[in-house]
Amino acid sequence: MSTHTYKKFEEASSGVLPDKMTIYQDCLNAFNESPVNSKRCRLLISRLLQLLAQGQHFPRTEATALFFAISKLFQHPNDALRQAVYLAIKELSAVSDDILMATSSIMKDVQNGSDMIKPNAIRSLTRVLDESTAFSAERLFKSAVVSKHPSISSAALVSSYHLLPVAESTVKRYSNETQEAVGDLKTFPYHDGLSEHYPNSTYIAQYHALGLLCMLKSHDKIALMKMVQQFSSGSTLKNQLAQVQLVKLVGSLLMKDNQMISQFSPLLLGWLSNKYESVQLEAAKLITSLPDRYVSPELFASAVQTLQSLLSVPRAVTRFAAVRVLNRISMAAPEKIVVCNPELESLINDSNRTVSTYAITALLKTGTSNNIASLIKTIANFIHEISDDFKIIIIDAVRTMALAFPEEWKSILNFLVNVLKQGEGGFQFKSSIVEALFDLVQYVPQSKELALENLCDFIEDCEYNEILVRILHLLGKEGPGMKTPSLYVRHIYNRVVLENSIVRSAAVVALSKFALVKKDPTLAESIEILLRRISNDADDEVRDRATMALEFIDSIKSKGGSESSPAETLIQSKYTYDLASLESKLTQYMASKQDAFKTPFDTSSIARYTEDERKAIDLKRKQDHLFAAVSSGKSKGKSGASSDAEKRNGAYSGPASNELDQDLQATKYAEELGSIEEFESFGPIINTSKDVALTETEAEFVVTGVKHLFKNHVVLQFHITNTLADVALDNVSVGCTPAISEEDSSLTEITTIAADRIKPSETFASYVAFEKSQEVVTEDLLNTLYFTTRELDPSTQEPFESDEGFQDEYEIDSLPLTAGDYIKGSFVGDFTSCFDELSHQEVSVYNIRENMSLQEVVDRLIANTSCLTLDNTQFTSADSNTHTLKLFGKSVLNGARVALVIRMIKSSKGIALKAEGRSDDAILCNDIVNGLM
Amino acid sequence: MPNLSLYAVEALLILDGEGKRIYAKYYNGPHDEEQASQQGKSSSKEQMDFESRLFKKTHKQNADILLFEDSLVLYKEYVDVSLYLVGSAEENELVLQQALAAVRDSLELVLATGIDKKNILEHYDMAALVIDETIDDGIILETDPATIASRVTKPPSKDVPINIELSEKGLLSAWGFAKSKLAERLQQGL
Repeated sequence: MSTHTYKKFEEASSGVLPDKMTIYQDCLNAFNESPVNSKRCRLLISRLLQLLAQGQHFPRTEATALFFAISKLFQHPNDALRQAVYLAIKELSAVSDDILMATSSIMKDVQNGSDMIKPNAIRSLTRVLDESTAFSAERLFKSAVVSKHPSISSAALVSSYHLLPVAESTVKRYSNETQEAVGDLKTFPYHDGLSEHYPNSTYIAQYHALGLLCMLKSHDKIALMKMVQQFSSGSTLKNQLAQVQLVKLVGSLLMKDNQMISQFSPLLLGWLSNKYESVQLEAAKLITSLPDRYVSPELFASAVQTLQSLLSVPRAVTRFAAVRVLNRISMAAPEKIVVCNPELESLINDSNRTVSTYAITALLKTGTSNNIASLIKTIANFIHEISDDFKIIIIDAVRTMALAFPEEWKSILNFLVNVLKQGEGGFQFKSSIVEALFDLVQYVPQSKELALENLCDFIEDCEYNEILVRILHLLGKEGPGMKTPSLYVRHIYNRVVLENSIVRSAAVVALSKFALVKKDPTLAESIEILLRRISNDADDEVRDRATMALEFIDSIKSKGGSESSPAETLIQSKYTYDLASLESKLTQYMASKQDAFKTPFDTSSIARYTEDERKAIDLKRKQDHLFAAVSSGKSKGKSGASSDAEKRNGAYSGPASNELDQDLQATKYAEELGSIEEFESFGPIINTSKDVALTETEAEFVVTGVKHLFKNHVVLQFHITNTLADVALDNVSVGCTPAISEEDSSLTEITTIAADRIKPSETFASYVAFEKSQEVVTEDLLNTLYFTTRELDPSTQEPFESDEGFQDEYEIDSLPLTAGDYIKGSFVGDFTSCFDELSHQEVSVYNIRENMSLQEVVDRLIANTSCLTLDNTQFTSADSNTHTLKLFGKSVLNGARVALVIRMIKSSKGIALKAEGRSDDAILCNDIVNGLM
Repeated sequence: MPNLSLYAVEALLILDGEGKRIYAKYYNGPHDEEQASQQGKSSSKEQMDFESRLFKKTHKQNADILLFEDSLVLYKEYVDVSLYLVGSAEENELVLQQALAAVRDSLELVLATGIDKKNILEHYDMAALVIDETIDDGIILETDPATIASRVTKPPSKDVPINIELSEKGLLSAWGFAKSKLAERLQQGL
């Protein structure tokens, strides 16, 4: 072997290609040679393909030159070369100019080429055609579609599918042939012995024809129904992908019209026991993603059964698919998949980590108060055998379980403490456990003492500063309120003696909070002694903090324990700021640079939360997060999985972002309203409701409304979107009239601010302000949109000068001012005892005749009352006909507490509700209980 | 909403044992402008990044399937090369599995000595043809490995020298040759 050939060999096998310009030159030379050396040309094309597939780009002119050089090779009759040529043409056609020039050569092959290269020619043809030339290939495609050769037929169908975006009308002209191709079972002609492989038709042309037909008839529901009927009968469809496609078609029909389920039920049931797993899977996916109330329990159960049988298939992909669907169901309706628990448990140690993760999270969701303890025991057995990021997912699932079943705190706490103490695992893992314990401390008061004690033990040998500091902060916050505060003091002081300066400073702050314990003066004294000792610390930050704390304590003492000393709030603050809005305000302040920062930053405009409020918000976020996973899991079927994936990537952190957006939204509203002078005298906004849609989303004018409550005023803000393409709306205002007569109404309209002009697809706000008394006022407001339409000049997008426009009105939904607008959700640890504590009581009974599910009723109740659901009652179980909803909130006017217990029963006649409300405020209680629906 | 589109496959990749690209094709319909820009995998740098992240995640994991950055990824790892098939997260997993199996099995049929890096690079044209015959710009074209393999031509061995024996058989073949040449000319003249 000469060195030259040796080198060549090296290059090919190592994947290192010669320079792209060398190949370019070689290609141009070789392709223009005459006679053509077919072997060398195919080798060069192979190199060229390799270059392209590895991400090398040729400039447009060079690509075009290559394209034309390659099309010269059409004169050589060798099929092997021709096939490579077509592949190169496919690749290059996207980056070259004037590709139409090759059309006629390709068309010639489509007509007269051998069976071997005909399909390739057809598939290349679709790349060189465009909108204007597609029609010329109609006859070719049509005859190829009806060809007896399966590959040719497939190629033509797929190529037509590619053409749809530019030439749907052309493709439509042979839809009859396409329809026939679905039912036609084409087999390969007698084997010609040219190839050593024996083709075996899978009838895949059926799949392509069906897919194409679905697109062609996508707007014709009747035709689609007919297709389902025709192709589902007997064994018309042999190809499994075609069958899957048919299931998908039924799915898309059902999504548009849920009522048709009864008609398709037998079909779906049959598919569940189809001989192909892919069809079974698709049918099960479809059934479980339909809205609950349309699917009969039997059908659902058989879908779950099918999934269950797929779980024990040896192929990982099948298991993955099945467990993924089950995991999705487990978020919405865990009770329905309890039958799969044995199989799921056996998947916990699956070699595919995604499969085992899905299995575990699904198992944890199916946990009921009965089997939680045993489930946790199972997990505890294997948690040490798995990797860290995987452990974190499990801890997260356990944590949600802790919120869902507060009464099971003991076993959960034990589990968490055990894994924490095992000492293995990195920072992320430890941090997630501590996070879970924090949740327990916050939301499950019974567990507080034990959890804090264990955290104290843990900080004795914790190597992570971040975690230490957080625990110290929690101890400082919760410790002083516990039975034996001195216990925590000992642990905290140990840290001061043993740790580095960061931990020491955190410990000092925590210690100082214990000085506020009123009932134990000796403790306060000892704290003082400790702090004095610390003020000789080597680190200046620690010294500073200790000195400051001492100063505060002194000032409290000198006032003789009078209640509201400012020093006290400095040590143990009663509220926290809304961090998102604080941040945005501060950035604004820094950016504005007004009078060189002489005016101090004004904190009064930022929302402040007390401890309870903050807990309520946190809990709501967590619930919403759960809920978001459920609802989107239903609609998209992937979110559950993707949120898991996010967690695994470590991207997931903190609360759901939409809630944050809402906080910012409130700040934004406040700014907007503050800038309107008519509203300046109203004072600060007390409460802002959610944005409510007042029209259908596909209406000509889309309107949403927001209610802002002020002390003596109400402002309704309407967002109006003009969806018309050629009309501008001038002088748009909303007329609000109370539903009852003017005199009886306790609202008096002051001003209306109209939007001047709304151009197509723009959104503007219009305001209506009312004066009201200080009490809770509830009213129904009827709304009408008034506006002047003016046609737009299409060239300038401005209204025609001559057009006077004409006045019009448009009725939109009413926007009631309800008791719920005066309430903010709040959190209490022990709902029952709090409920009994409240003085005023009101009971009311409702009967709902509309066809609604319990969950819909619950959702509506939560939205109407704007209370926080407690004890995990926001989800109804799909099996039972009864539900008890517990709601809690506080009045935004005077802070009066409101607790509601709503029991509901669903029967054939409708849903009966019995609402029992208690509150500090009699009027509010009355209003809310009587204005629920 | 079940996706009725036939575009089931988003990408097919062959990476070597160090995660470097041997073959990579990200699919979008030839006449579908929208689809091309949606992925965040449009520029070649983004694609390369995606591949290296994917490789890190899957190398030596032996998991066959996973959800990766909102896509389903099915893969098969060999000694010094791995096949990846990327599909949308809503797609039927078993359908994608069929597509990957088709590529894998027909590669095995076509590359007589099994799938490895050297073999693929030496027969790059065959590998590219196998993939092209299995997936046509995202649409699964065929799933039967034997059918795919039978549709992939071998490179021409060498240009067959035209050698006419002047025996009886030779004359016949000469006549046949002339006839076919004539037919070809006529066709080209058309």
